[in-house]
Amino acid sequence: MAVVDMREPRTRSPEERVVDGALRCFARWGVGKTTLDDIAAAAGCSRATVYRLFPGGKERVLQAVVRHEVARFFAGLATRLAGIDDLEDLLVAGIAYTGRELSDHAALQFLLAYEPELILPRISFRHMDHVLALVSDAVAPFLAPHVGTDEAPRVAEWLVRVVVSYTLAPSTAFDVRDEASVRRLVRAFVLPGLVQPVTA
Amino acid sequence: MLRSIALTVRLPAIDLTVRERILEATYACVARYGLAKTTIDDVARAARLSRATVYRTFPGGRDQLLREAITWETGRFFGRLAEAVAGAGDLAGLLEEALVFAHRAVEEHEVLQKILQTEPELLLPQLTVDSPRVLLFIAGFLLPYLERERDRLRPGLDLQEASEHLARMLLSFISAQGRWDLTDKAQVARLVETELLAGIT
Repeated sequence: MAVVDMREPRTRSPEERVVDGALRCFARWGVGKTTLDDIAAAAGCSRATVYRLFPGGKERVLQAVVRHEVARFFAGLATRLAGIDDLEDLLVAGIAYTGRELSDHAALQFLLAYEPELILPRISFRHMDHVLALVSDAVAPFLAPHVGTDEAPRVAEWLVRVVVSYTLAPSTAFDVRDEASVRRLVRAFVLPGLVQPVTA
Repeated sequence: MLRSIALTVRLPAIDLTVRERILEATYACVARYGLAKTTIDDVARAARLSRATVYRTFPGGRDQLLREAITWETGRFFGRLAEAVAGAGDLAGLLEEALVFAHRAVEEHEVLQKILQTEPELLLPQLTVDSPRVLLFIAGFLLPYLERERDRLRPGLDLQEASEHLARMLLSFISAQGRWDLTDKAQVARLVETELLAGIT
């Protein structure tokens, strides 16, 4: 879980206000058309303040937004999964939470629709290998109590593939945002690979 | 036979051979110059056709031509994959062969690898647009194999859902092998058993 910052925001720092403002701008206009003035206005600070906090300009702000959103996602996942003891319930909650976070993320969906060239090169082919490794390492601890620490990273990566596929190319058979639909998916194609069949 | 079903772009009454000739020429130009630098003039010259003919066949011009050339080569890629594995004995064997073949074909696809290095931002959006069609194609290819082995599959399995799910898993592993080594046949067999056929057999 080394990559994930689990701190709860206490007071909103100037950096956080800029990151929040930038995220709202990206969701409305995309990255290309958002200016530092837009970000400053959305954050309620001056353009000079944005520059002082993020000396690299928009590119640095974008990196901070990505880091912030990834940390927020994993913090939310930990909260969602806390106290769930049953493996099936854990899988359903985790997959549906992830499906909703990805599908309902306004900025992410805007970029996928209108500026895919900014995102896809970071998550395709060899780059997807890195994403799979990072995300499955972060997800594995939730699975370890059920499948063992040796198997957890493999199972985590498998689940990430399932969520990514059903999210990026939605299916008419299964809706990954909907828990009842995800439960059907988990029972059909995931749990049978995790639960040892009873030998006759 | 399968190769042309789902992936070729549907066309009106334009001469198919002219169209194929232009797409083939476009692919050759992209291999040489890349996506950004390929022009209609290059393509017309390589196809030994006039600019007017190219524009008549692809009224959307360069953008349409490049989009359709990517879709066309994607179709050929999965057509080659389908042909390569069509003789497999059973479903598990088919999936193993498909993973090994496709992984190697991606690694050895010189044009794909070059574009992924130099201009992924021009290629990947179109591959993503094409992916639902690719999924349909793979699922349609797998369905008869599932039907043939129906008796050995999990009772009550929905074959349509199963073929789509298998297609998704295959495409995921073809585009990124993750922690698996898809050149290692023992690993591939284990992968197929644990992650592809879970809930299916």
